[in-house]
Amino acid sequence: MNRILTTIRKSKEMNILLVLIVISIIISIFNGSFLTMGNLLDVVKSNIVLAIMSMGMLLVLLTGGIDVSIASVISAVTVVVGQFMVHVSSNIVLVFIVGVLAGSLMGLINGLLIAKLKIPPIVATLGTMSIIFGVVLYLTNGTWITGIPQNFIDFGRVTIGKFNVAGSDQPTGIPIQFLFLVLAAALTWFILKYTVIGRGIYAIGGNKESAERIGINSDNLTLFVYVYEGFLIGLAGVVHTSIMRQVDPNAFIGFELQVIAAVVLGGASVLGGYGSVFGTLVGVSLFCVINNGLILMHIPVYWQKIVVGVVLITSISVDVIQKRMQEKKNVRVDIDENIQRFARTSVSKEVKTQA
Amino acid sequence: MAQNMLLEMHHVSKTFPGVKALQDIQLEIQHGEIHALIGENGAGKSTLIKILSGVYQPDEGAEIFIDGELQKDITPLGSLKHGIAVIYQDFSLFPNLTVAENIAMVSRIGRKTKIINWKETHNIAKNALAKLELELPLGTTLSELSVAKQQLVAIARAFVNDVKLIVMDEPTSALSRGEVESLFSIIRNLKERGISILFISHKLDELFAISDRFTILRDGKYIGTFGEEELDDDRLISLMVGRRIEYKIFDKRTLNDPLFEVHNLNKAGNFKDISFTLNRGEILGITGLVGAGRSELAQAIFGLSPSDTGEILLDGEPLHIESPEQSVAHGISYIPENRLTEGLVLKKSMTDNICLTVLNKISNNRGLIGKEAQHELVDTWIHDLNIKPNLPNMIASKLSGGNQQRIVLSKWLATEPKILIVDEPTNGIDIGAKADIHQLLRDLSEQGMSIIVISSELPEILAIADRVLVMRRGRIAATLDGKNLTQEEIMKEAL
Amino acid sequence: MEQNTQQTVENEKKGLRKLFGKFHLETKELVLLWIFLGIFILMSIISPGRFLSVYNLQSMAYQFPEFGILALSMMVIIVTGGINLSITYSATLASILGAVVMVSMNKAGAPELASVLVGVFIIIVASLVTGAVNGLIVAHIGIVPMLATLGTMTLFEGISLNITKGGAISGFPNMFQWFGNSSIIGIPVPLFIFVLVIIATYFILQRSTFGAKVYMIGCNPTATRFSGINVKKTLFLLYVYSGLLTGLAGLVMASRYNSAKESYGYTYLLQSVSAAVLGGTDISGGFGKVFGTVISVLILQVISSGLNIFGVNRFITDVIMGMILILVLTINFINNKREEKALVTKKIVTA
Repeated sequence: MNRILTTIRKSKEMNILLVLIVISIIISIFNGSFLTMGNLLDVVKSNIVLAIMSMGMLLVLLTGGIDVSIASVISAVTVVVGQFMVHVSSNIVLVFIVGVLAGSLMGLINGLLIAKLKIPPIVATLGTMSIIFGVVLYLTNGTWITGIPQNFIDFGRVTIGKFNVAGSDQPTGIPIQFLFLVLAAALTWFILKYTVIGRGIYAIGGNKESAERIGINSDNLTLFVYVYEGFLIGLAGVVHTSIMRQVDPNAFIGFELQVIAAVVLGGASVLGGYGSVFGTLVGVSLFCVINNGLILMHIPVYWQKIVVGVVLITSISVDVIQKRMQEKKNVRVDIDENIQRFARTSVSKEVKTQA
Repeated sequence: MAQNMLLEMHHVSKTFPGVKALQDIQLEIQHGEIHALIGENGAGKSTLIKILSGVYQPDEGAEIFIDGELQKDITPLGSLKHGIAVIYQDFSLFPNLTVAENIAMVSRIGRKTKIINWKETHNIAKNALAKLELELPLGTTLSELSVAKQQLVAIARAFVNDVKLIVMDEPTSALSRGEVESLFSIIRNLKERGISILFISHKLDELFAISDRFTILRDGKYIGTFGEEELDDDRLISLMVGRRIEYKIFDKRTLNDPLFEVHNLNKAGNFKDISFTLNRGEILGITGLVGAGRSELAQAIFGLSPSDTGEILLDGEPLHIESPEQSVAHGISYIPENRLTEGLVLKKSMTDNICLTVLNKISNNRGLIGKEAQHELVDTWIHDLNIKPNLPNMIASKLSGGNQQRIVLSKWLATEPKILIVDEPTNGIDIGAKADIHQLLRDLSEQGMSIIVISSELPEILAIADRVLVMRRGRIAATLDGKNLTQEEIMKEAL
Repeated sequence: MEQNTQQTVENEKKGLRKLFGKFHLETKELVLLWIFLGIFILMSIISPGRFLSVYNLQSMAYQFPEFGILALSMMVIIVTGGINLSITYSATLASILGAVVMVSMNKAGAPELASVLVGVFIIIVASLVTGAVNGLIVAHIGIVPMLATLGTMTLFEGISLNITKGGAISGFPNMFQWFGNSSIIGIPVPLFIFVLVIIATYFILQRSTFGAKVYMIGCNPTATRFSGINVKKTLFLLYVYSGLLTGLAGLVMASRYNSAKESYGYTYLLQSVSAAVLGGTDISGGFGKVFGTVISVLILQVISSGLNIFGVNRFITDVIMGMILILVLTINFINNKREEKALVTKKIVTA
C-alpha cells in the first residue's frame, strides 16, 4: 500500500490528475451545471479534435521534436475532405481514407525534411506550415465549403446510447466522434506500450546515441512519428468536419500552440523521452475544463488565455524547481561518517609527521 | 592457433574527416581471456571498439574473424548476434526507461515479432541478472539508480544474448574502490565461464590486477601484444607513450606565509570538516580516489556550488563567495577537470575563449570590445604559452588536447589570479605538453601565485606539489609534506 | 577615359570592401547581400514602372521596419539557443497599454504632446516589463525558452484581450501618427527607428562585452558559467532587450495602423524566425550576425512586395516564403555533407 502511495506521489501524471480533480471541484462549487452529463458531453465533443491531435503531438515531443505545422495540416485535410465530399463521393469509408491519406502525406513531408535532411524540427515545420497554409488559402481564398452531403451530416449526428439530461427534454447520447478519440488514444497507447516502434521512440527520446548503438534506426522512427502524427491529424480533420458540417479554412489558425500547451500540461517533456497517453489525456482534459469552467463561472472569455498561460507557466515551473531541489539533495560523495575511526587515523598521521 | 581465437582483427584502418584514426591495427582475443587494450587518450581505442561493435565501418582491406569466420559489414545488430557486447563508458542506457527494459531492449531489435511481451521482458531481465547472480529492482526507472548500479544494468544487458566477448570501456572510472572490487570479482567469474573480456582502462594497477594479455596502441598504430609476464609498469608505460615517463621532480619548498585559509567547510553529500591553509607561492596538491570529494571541494570554493557551512579567509579577511563571478573578482581561478564541456566553448575561436574571462580588460568604459587590445592579449598568451598553431581565429575543437589546455590556462592566467585551482591539469594530453604545464605551474608559483593542483596521477603530485592533502570519502585524511614523499605513503591514506 | 572608369570601379570596390570590413560582413552575409541585389534588380527589370516606382519604394520603406525590428528581437534570443514566441503579443500588449492611457488623456483634454509622450513612455516601460517576465522565467526559473514564451505569449494575448474586449483601440492624438507615417528629411520615421535599432543591436551583440557573453552562452552555458560569467543575469538582460525591441515595433505598428489590437503583426512571428535563420543565425544557438538578419528581412520584403505588384496571390507568396526557408536549409545540409567528403578525400590524398 505504501509503495503504491509513493508511486502515485512520484508520478507526474497523478499530480496533474490531482490538479484536474481540485479544479473540477472548485468549478462545480461555483456552478452546479458543470458536473452535469449535458455539460460534460459538450466539453468532450468540442475538444475531441484537440485530443486526437495531442496524441500525435505526444509522439513528436517524445522524440524531442516539435511540430508547428499541425494547424495548417488539419486545415488542408478539412479542405481536401470537404471538396472530395462535395465533388466526388460522400461514401463515409472513402472520406476517411482520403482524409487520413492526405494527413499522412503531409506528415511524410515533415518527416523527410526532419529525418533525412536533418532540418531542425521547429524550422522545418515552420516552413511546411507557411507552404501548406498558403496553398490552402490560395485555393479556397478563405471561403467556407458548405453543402456537405446529407449522409455525412447524418453520420456526424449519430450517438451511442440514449439517456436523459437535466435541463433538456431530448435524450442525448455519446457522440460517435468520441469513438474515434477512443480509437486514436487506444492505438497510440498500444503503439507506445506494446510495440518495438513505441519503445524505440522512448529510447531515442531518452538517449539517441545509445539507441543507435544498439541498432535502433532513429531516422526511420522519426519518419514514422511524423507520418503517424499526420495520420491522426487526417482522422481529426474528418472528425472535425463531421462535427462542424462545413469547412472553414481559417478555423485552425493558432491551434498548434493549444495542442502543444495541452500535451505539455500533461507532463510530456519538450526535450524528449518523457510523456504518456494517460498524462496527455489528463492534460487535454485540464485544458478543456479550465476553459469550460471559466465560461460556467461567467468569467469573461478573455480570461481564458490568461488562465491557460498562467497554468502552463506554473505547472512547468513547479516541475523544474522540484527537479532542481532533488538534484541538490543528490549525494555525490559517500562521506565517511565514522568519525571515531577517522579521528584515530588522523591522530596517528599527526604523530608520524611530527616525528 | 587460429581455431582457438574468438576474435581476430587484421589490417584495420579508419579514416575520419581530417584524421587517420587507425592504421593497420590487429587484435586477437582468445576464448576465456581477459585482454587489456591500452594506449593514451587519442590512441584509437574507442574507434577500434566502435568498429568491433559495428557503429563505424573500417576502411577497405580490414579482415575481421569471429570464431574463425570472416565477417563482412559488421552492424550493431550483427555484432550483438555474434555474442559481442560493448559496455561504453557512458553505459549507453536509457535514463527514462525501467531497469527491465534497459536490459531487455537489445533482445527486441531485429526480431520478427514487433509486439512487446512485458512478461517476457521481465523474464529476460531477470535471467540476465541471474546469470550474474545479481538482484536489481526491475520496475525502477534507471535514472533513480546509482552509477554503480547503472553499470551493473549495462553489464546485465550483455547477458541477454549468448555473449562470448564483453568489451568494457573505462568501466571503473565512475566507481568507488569497493565497487571496483566487486566488478572485478564479477569479471573473474565470467572468465571462469569461458567468456572473454576486452578491458580498457587508464589505471595500470587495475590492468595488472586483472588482465592476462595486453594489446598496446599508440597514435592509431599497433605497437604489440604481450603476456602479463612480459610487462611491468615501466615497460608498459614506455610502450604506451613511446618513451619512459620521467617527470622532472621539482625541489620542495617549506613556506609559512598563509594567503588562503579554509576552516570546517561542510557540504552535505559532498564533503565534511575540511580545513587547510594555502601559502603564498605554494603548490598544494590535493589527491585521493575518484569520488573522494576533491572536485566538489574545489567547485564549492570557486562558488559554483557553495558550501553549507564553514569559513574561508583570504589574507585574513573572511570571504563570502556565492558565485564564480565573485571568486574571480577576489582573484580565485578554477580550471575544471572537464576541458571539453566546462573549460572551453569548443565551437568558438581561441580568441573568444581566451577573452571570455577578461572581457572588462579588453573593453572601453562603454563596454565595447577593443579589437587591438583583444589581439594584443591573445597574441601575448599564444606566445607566452607557446600555443600552436599560432592562429587566433582557429576553432578550439580543432586543437590538440595540450593546446586546448594551454588556452584554458591562458584564459585564467589572464585574470591575474592570486589563487589558481587546477583540476587534473594534464588529463588526456601528451607527455611533452604535460612537462611544459608542470614547468609553467612551478614558474607561476615562484612568481608568487598560490596554486592548488588536484590530480589522481600520483607521479604528477609527487613531481610538483610542495604539500599534499589526501582526501578520502569526503574528508581530509592526511596532510603530507612533499619532501621525499612516495606513492605508497599517499595510497595508504587514500584507501 | 576607360582606364579611368575602371580605376573608379576598383576604387569603389575597395571602398565597399572596406565598408564591409568595418561592419564585419563575412561571406555568408555577402552572399545574402548579392541575393538581395539580384532579386531587387530582377524585380526592377521585370517591372520598372511599378516596382521601382517612388511610391512602391516608399511604401516598402514604411512597411518593413516593424517586421525588421521584430526579427531582431527574435534573432537576439535565437543566438542564445532559445526562441521567443511572445514577441508579437508583447509588442501589441505594450502598444495597447500605451494606447489606453493616451486615448483617455486625449479625451480628458490633455495637451496632445503630453498624452503622446506619456503613451510612448508607457509602451516602452510595458515592453521592458514583458521582456523581464520572459527573462525571469527563462533565466531564473530555468524553463525551456520555447515553453516559457509559449506561456507568456498566451498570457500577454489574454491580458490584451481583456483590455480591448477583442476590438481595436483608436482615437489617438494626431501627433502620434508621426512615429509611423511621417518622415525626417525624406527618411520615413519607422525606417529611422529601424536603423537606430540595427546600430544598437549591432553594437550590443557584436561589439560589446555583453554580446560576447551572449554568443558564448549560446554555444555552451556551462563553460560560460565556469568562466565566471553571470549567465542568468546576461540572459535576463537580453530578454529585457528583446522586450524593448518588441515595444518599439508595437509603437510603429500602432502609429501606422492608427489603432492598437492584440493580433497586429501576428504573421511576423514565424517570419521572424525565418528571417533570422535565413540570415545565418544558428537555430541551436551561438552563431548569427545582425546584418544577416537585416538583409534577410530586406530579401523577404522585396520578394513579397514584388510578388504583390505582379499580382501574385498573397497566399502564394506565403508558399514561396516557406519554400525559400526549406530550400536554404536543404542547401546548407548538402553543403555540409560535401564539405565533409571533400575533407576526407583531401586528407587521403595528402596522406
